[in-house]
Amino acid sequence: MTTVRRTPVQVLLVEDSPGDVRLTREAFREANESVCLHVASDGVEAMAFLRQEGVHADAVRPDFILLDLNLPRMDGREVLALIKEDEDLRTIPTVILTTSEADADILRSYELNANAYLKKPVTLEAFENLVKSINDFWLTKVMLPQRRQRDD
Amino acid sequence: MLKLRDGEVSADSGAKYRGLLEAAPDAMVVVNQGGQIVLLNLQAEKQFGYHREELVGQPVKNIIPDGFAERLIADDLRSAEDALAQQIGTGIELVGRRKDGSAFPIEIMLSPLRSAEGVLVTAAIRDISVRKAAEQHLTQMEGSRQLVEEELRQSEERYRMLLDGIEDYAIFVMDPHGEVVSWNAGAERIKGYRADEIIGRNFSCFFPPEDVDRGRPVEVLRMTAETGRREEQGMRVRKDGSQFLASVTLTALRGPTGELRGFSEFSHDLSASKEAGAKYLGLLEAAPDAMVVVNKAGEIVLLNVQAEKRFGYYRDELLGQPVKNIIPDGFAERLVADDLRSAEDALAQQIGTGIELVGRRKDGSAFPIEIMLSPLESAEGILVTAAIRDISVRKAAEHHLAQMEGRYRGLLEAAPDAMVVVNKAGEIVLLNVQAEKQFGYHRDELVGQPVKNIIPDGFAARLIADDLRSAADALAQQIGTGIELVGRRKDGSAFPIEIMLSPLQSAEGILVTAAIRDISVRKDAEQHLREKVDELKRSNEELGQFAYIASHDLQEPLRMVASYTQLLSKRYKGQLDADADEFIAYAVDGASRMQQLIEDLLAYSRVATTGNELVDTSSEFALEQALQNLHWAIKDSGALVTHDPLPPVQADGMQLIQLFQNLVGNAIKYQSPGIPRVHISAARQGQMHWDFAVRDNGLGIDPQYFERIFGMFQRLHKRDEFSGTGVGLAICKKIVERHGGSLSVASALGQGSTFSFALAGTEMES
Repeated sequence: MTTVRRTPVQVLLVEDSPGDVRLTREAFREANESVCLHVASDGVEAMAFLRQEGVHADAVRPDFILLDLNLPRMDGREVLALIKEDEDLRTIPTVILTTSEADADILRSYELNANAYLKKPVTLEAFENLVKSINDFWLTKVMLPQRRQRDD
Repeated sequence: MLKLRDGEVSADSGAKYRGLLEAAPDAMVVVNQGGQIVLLNLQAEKQFGYHREELVGQPVKNIIPDGFAERLIADDLRSAEDALAQQIGTGIELVGRRKDGSAFPIEIMLSPLRSAEGVLVTAAIRDISVRKAAEQHLTQMEGSRQLVEEELRQSEERYRMLLDGIEDYAIFVMDPHGEVVSWNAGAERIKGYRADEIIGRNFSCFFPPEDVDRGRPVEVLRMTAETGRREEQGMRVRKDGSQFLASVTLTALRGPTGELRGFSEFSHDLSASKEAGAKYLGLLEAAPDAMVVVNKAGEIVLLNVQAEKRFGYYRDELLGQPVKNIIPDGFAERLVADDLRSAEDALAQQIGTGIELVGRRKDGSAFPIEIMLSPLESAEGILVTAAIRDISVRKAAEHHLAQMEGRYRGLLEAAPDAMVVVNKAGEIVLLNVQAEKQFGYHRDELVGQPVKNIIPDGFAARLIADDLRSAADALAQQIGTGIELVGRRKDGSAFPIEIMLSPLQSAEGILVTAAIRDISVRKDAEQHLREKVDELKRSNEELGQFAYIASHDLQEPLRMVASYTQLLSKRYKGQLDADADEFIAYAVDGASRMQQLIEDLLAYSRVATTGNELVDTSSEFALEQALQNLHWAIKDSGALVTHDPLPPVQADGMQLIQLFQNLVGNAIKYQSPGIPRVHISAARQGQMHWDFAVRDNGLGIDPQYFERIFGMFQRLHKRDEFSGTGVGLAICKKIVERHGGSLSVASALGQGSTFSFALAGTEMES
C-alpha cells in the first residue's frame, strides 16, 4: 500500500437545496460509507467554514469541494473565485455541481480554475451513478496534496 | 328710251310717264335700288353733258359722286325703304359732275316710284350754281364789310397785337395799289422782312421776277377786287431771294359805300409740310402693315394701299369717312377726350401698345386686328397714325391652342389624382381641382409658383440638369416610376405622396405632368403592419424565452419529485402494501414522463433560442453523426440504413444532426414486421438547392394526419405501442423552417413514408 489515505475523507458540499443535500448524502452513503460530508447552505457560510471563522473555528479542512453555482447571499462563482485566489485553499479540488448547462457558466467556471463542471442528472439512477463516479475518481483514484493534517 | 322690261309697265303708262318727265323744267333721273340710272330726261342730258345712252344702266355715282347712291342703300340699321323715306321731299344739296369732269352744285329732290322692279327713285336735279355763287358772293361781301368795320372799330395797337400773335401765317394789309401798310410777326418770320423794311413797298416784291414781268401781281389784285376774295397757291420769294410754295388768301377791303380801300393777304409756307408729307406718304405706302391716319374727329385723312386691300375699299371710299366704318369699336374712343382726360392724354395712354380690335371689311366681314398707334403733329393738330395688322392667323393659332388646352384641361380635371403640370424651371403652369383640394390652395395661388411650395424636396430636383445629365435625361430617368415624396399643404402640414411623372411636349418646351396620390392611408397601413410584425416578433421571442425559462425552472422541483419517488420505490418496494407499490409506480412514471416532456420542450425552444449561424456544413457528416447516436436503436431493430452521397449545405451542424437523428429514428421506430429499410437521398433542385428525402418501408401514415404530425405533442399511437412525447417532428419542422425550407411528408398506410425537405447548397458549389 504505497498510497496512504486519510479516513474518513472530508467533503464540503455547498448547496442551498435541502432536497439535493439529502439526495447527495444518500448517494454518497451508497457509494462510500467512509465519506464525511459537511454542508454549507450558502457562499458566506462556505467561506466561513473554509476560513474556520465564527462557529466554524473548529472546522476541518475539506479534501474536496462540491459547489453549486446558484446560492443565496454569495453565489458559487464568487466562492470559486475566493477559493482559487486563496494561497492555502486553491489546492483543494473544487468541482461545480449545478443544474445550469449554460455555456457562459461552464466557461466562467473553468476560467476561475474549477477542477471540473458537472450537471445534476434528472433521474435518481443517473444521480447515484454520478456520485459513484465522483467517489471512484476524485476521492479514490486522484492523488491529493498532503497538507497540515497528517495522520502519521 | 324707256327701257323697262316687257310686261312691267305698259306702253301706254310708259308713254305718259315719259311725257311728264320730258316736260319737267328740272333734270330728272330715275334710279333703281342698285344705284343705276334707269331713265332720264332731256334736261338731265343737257345738264350733265351726256347722251342718254351713255347714262342709262350706269351708276348714278358717275354724275352725282357722293351722297345720292348712299341714300338708297340699305345698311345694318335700316332697310332701303326706310333709307329712302328719310330723304323724300327734302331738298338735298350735292355736287354734280359733268361728262367733262367739271363739278357744279346741285339740289336734288327725291320721290319714290313703285314699279315691278321694286321701288325706284325719281330725282329732280336743279343746277344751283348761280344761287350758290350769289350766296358765296353775299357771304364774302358780308365778311369783307365786317373785317373793315372791325379794323375801324379796334385800335390799331390791338389789331397789330392780334395779328402779331399769329406766327404761322403772314398777314399784311395793302392799299388799293399793293403797297404794304401793316405787317405781322408771322409775315416777318415767313418772308424775312421786318415791318420797317417792308411797309411802304409794293407787294410785288414777294413774287418771283418772271411773275412780276408778266404783270402777275397787278393781275392778282385785279381779280381779287373783282371777286372780293381769291385763294391761290404759288411760288413766293423771301427777302433773301429764296422761293417757297405759299398758300395765299387775298381779300378785297371795301368801304361802306363800296369803294375799294385796299387788300388783306393771309399766306403760309406750304413747302415744309409738302416735302414732309411726300416723304411721309412714301413711308406710308412702303409699310407692310395697313396704315391709316385719323384726325381728332375720328375721320380718316390718309391711308395706304395695304389698308385698301385689307379692308376691301378704294381709297376714295375711306378718305374723310369715320374710321368707325372699318374699325367699329375701340379705336375712335381712344382718341376722344372725356371728362377725365384730354385728347392728348387719351392718346398718350395708347401710344406704342398693341391693341387687339376687330376690323370690318367693305363686304361686312369681320377679322381680328392688332393696331399700334403713334401721334403725328400736323397743322390740323395731332393726327394719329394707326398701323393695323391682320392677326387672323395668330388668333386662329391661339384659339387652337386654347382648344387643345381646354381638351387637356378636361382630361386633367377628370383625373382621379391630383395633377400638376410643371415647366423646366420648376414652376407650376397648370393644375386640377383635385390638386387644389389636396394641397388646400386656390388655383391662383399656385400657378406660376415654384412646385417646391407644395413638394419641398425631390421633385424639382428631378427635373434639373446637372453635370452628369441633361434635363431631358434627368426627366427620362423618372418617367413612369412611382416616387414616394412628401407633400406640404397650405397650412404647413405634411403628408406622404406618390408621384408619377410623364412628359408633355408643348410650345414652351417639355412640361412635366405629375400625378400625385395621397398615400397617407397606405403609409399608415404599412406602418401599422410593421408595428404588428414587430409586436408579433417580440411576443414570439417572449414566448420562446418563456417556454425555455419555464421548462428550465420546472425541471428543478420536478427533479426532486422524480428523484424522491424513485428513491421511495427503490428503498421501500415490497415493504409496504400492494397499493403503496402501485401508487409509487404511477408517481415514478408520471414524473419521468413529465421530465421527458420538459426535456423535449426545451429542445424545441432551443431550436430558435440557441441555434447557430448557417455555415457550410457536410450533410453526409451530419448524417453519420446522427446514425452514430442511433447506433443501438439501429442495431436492436436490425434496420438497413443506406444513403446517397450527400452534398455540403448551408446549415447549423448540430441541428442538422438532430434533424437526421429524429427522422431516421422515427423511420426505425414506426416499423412494420420485417427488416426496416431506410434510405436518405439528395437531389439537386435548381442552382441553389438540394432536395433531401428520408424514405422508409414502415407503417406509413394516413394522409389525414399529415398536418397533425408536425404539431407539438401530437401523437398517432398509444403510449403502450410507441413511447414518445410527440415533439420530435415539431422540432424537425422548426429546424427545417429555420433553414428556410419546409418539411413535407408523402405516405400511405402500409406503404412506408418519405419525409422531404430542401436545404441551400454552398456558395462554392453554386
